[in-house]
Amino acid sequence: MTPFLTAFFSGTAQGAIYALVSLGLVLVWRSAGVVNFAQMGQAMFTTYIASQLIQHSYSYWSAFLIALISGAALGALVDLGLMRPLTSRKNSQLLNSQSMRTTIPVIASLGILGVLKALAGIFWAGEERGFPSPVAPNAIKIGDTSLAITGFDLFVIGVVFLTLVLTTIFFTKTGMGLAMRASALNPEVTRLSGIKVGSVRTLGWAISGIASSLAGLLVTPRTNLSPNTLDLLLIIGFTAAVVGGLSSLAGSVLGGFILGYVISFVNVYSAPENVFIAILAFLLLALFIRPQGILGSKEVRSV
Amino acid sequence: MLAITNLVTQFASIKALDDISFQAKPGLITTVIGANGAGKSTLLRTISGLERPSSGSITWFDEELTHKSVEAIVRSGISQVPEGHAVISQLSVAENIELGGLFRRRIARGDLATATKEVYELFPILHERRNEPAGSLSGGERQMLAISRALVSRPKLLLLDEPSLGLAPLIAAQIISAINELCRSTGLTVLLVEQNANTALAVADHGILLALGKVVANLPAKEMAADSSLRAAYLGY
Repeated sequence: MTPFLTAFFSGTAQGAIYALVSLGLVLVWRSAGVVNFAQMGQAMFTTYIASQLIQHSYSYWSAFLIALISGAALGALVDLGLMRPLTSRKNSQLLNSQSMRTTIPVIASLGILGVLKALAGIFWAGEERGFPSPVAPNAIKIGDTSLAITGFDLFVIGVVFLTLVLTTIFFTKTGMGLAMRASALNPEVTRLSGIKVGSVRTLGWAISGIASSLAGLLVTPRTNLSPNTLDLLLIIGFTAAVVGGLSSLAGSVLGGFILGYVISFVNVYSAPENVFIAILAFLLLALFIRPQGILGSKEVRSV
Repeated sequence: MLAITNLVTQFASIKALDDISFQAKPGLITTVIGANGAGKSTLLRTISGLERPSSGSITWFDEELTHKSVEAIVRSGISQVPEGHAVISQLSVAENIELGGLFRRRIARGDLATATKEVYELFPILHERRNEPAGSLSGGERQMLAISRALVSRPKLLLLDEPSLGLAPLIAAQIISAINELCRSTGLTVLLVEQNANTALAVADHGILLALGKVVANLPAKEMAADSSLRAAYLGY
């Protein structure tokens, strides 16, 4: 197969994972207005839970389901246990400036990332282990040529698009989705509309927790599982979210695939050690050309 | 009836509301006027639960409000239109209106459709622009939208915070008269906070004059409008 096609297929496969990570970030951003750096920590932790279950001879799919439920619970717990107390009115003196209000949850999410890594280290000795994939990772063949894409990759791409469609329908067509967008955009007006902003946000964290878990379950068959393996993914996923437009679900998925192609083409046509530089250069370029992201909307300015 | 008794709201050591008592009768427009910093907005924010009073009571038909959450207060039929044409500019006009009725979408779906139709009849321009983002509206249209968002919740008591602020006089008059008509035709109780005393007293039944967090006059609107010494002392014209 030509190097171009190899790069294309492997970029598509990697891009699907980045899209999932980026989608999880955008979900929290759109429902709680927080950039959640703990996301891959949550993904890592719930994947360890699945891995434990599989070791104790649970089936793959029951472990998969329990990991997703744990992801929702962990997301809700992060909000109830930390984000909500941190931004409650008792601390309003500290939270008087808008910049502090937006910064504190982000710093707290970094703290959670640290705690989750430490806990994984304590519970599972930080060992690196493999994680099974639900679909055999055999290369797809056309005639005698194997493509640089596997059945598992196609499965991941399918899951990404299904998640995108479901979350988009949820956000744009349901009342709860509207409540979620409104809560992130303007909590005060939303509360004055009789909506329990606190509960809506917790639900947003839970949904994003599911997306994070899903990303963890689908990426670890390729990367293996250890407390630190998913760090790089967060950086790439975050870049993808910014490039696609932090407020757009479809943009985040598009950003994920674009990043997948950038990384894979640099790998094939340049050298693996240039990947990081390429990501940064691409992020800067995207920010210069379209700071609101490819599908992000410009802040509407009132006159 | 809305009854406010010995209400105090403080920010650190400053009493924004200092022992305020008055009542607003159902089905009428009561206006709260006063200069900048008199505590008018704080009063509305305390009634709607956005600020917590340090003492005193607020009751709506004998139901105590001071310990309720903002959401619970809205759900008991009290809706606030905050200062500054507060709409969510990134959402469409239709979504802003939908937001106002969202909490009762399960219990009153049919009425929600009627309520939405009614606000579009009250402000037809919003219907024309229903698919545009609220941020693209003019100041007057945004105020209409903010009022519509409050109205689809079918409030019994509407709290309006300076609806005429920053609007051209003609537009402001149009909005005030729409509120007046609504009150007269539906029996809605209105508490109207205004800096523009003339506009407010012209439609109101009763006037409350605030100065530095205290009630300095509590009179029928006509009498208050006629009292030039009050105006000279507290409103400066």
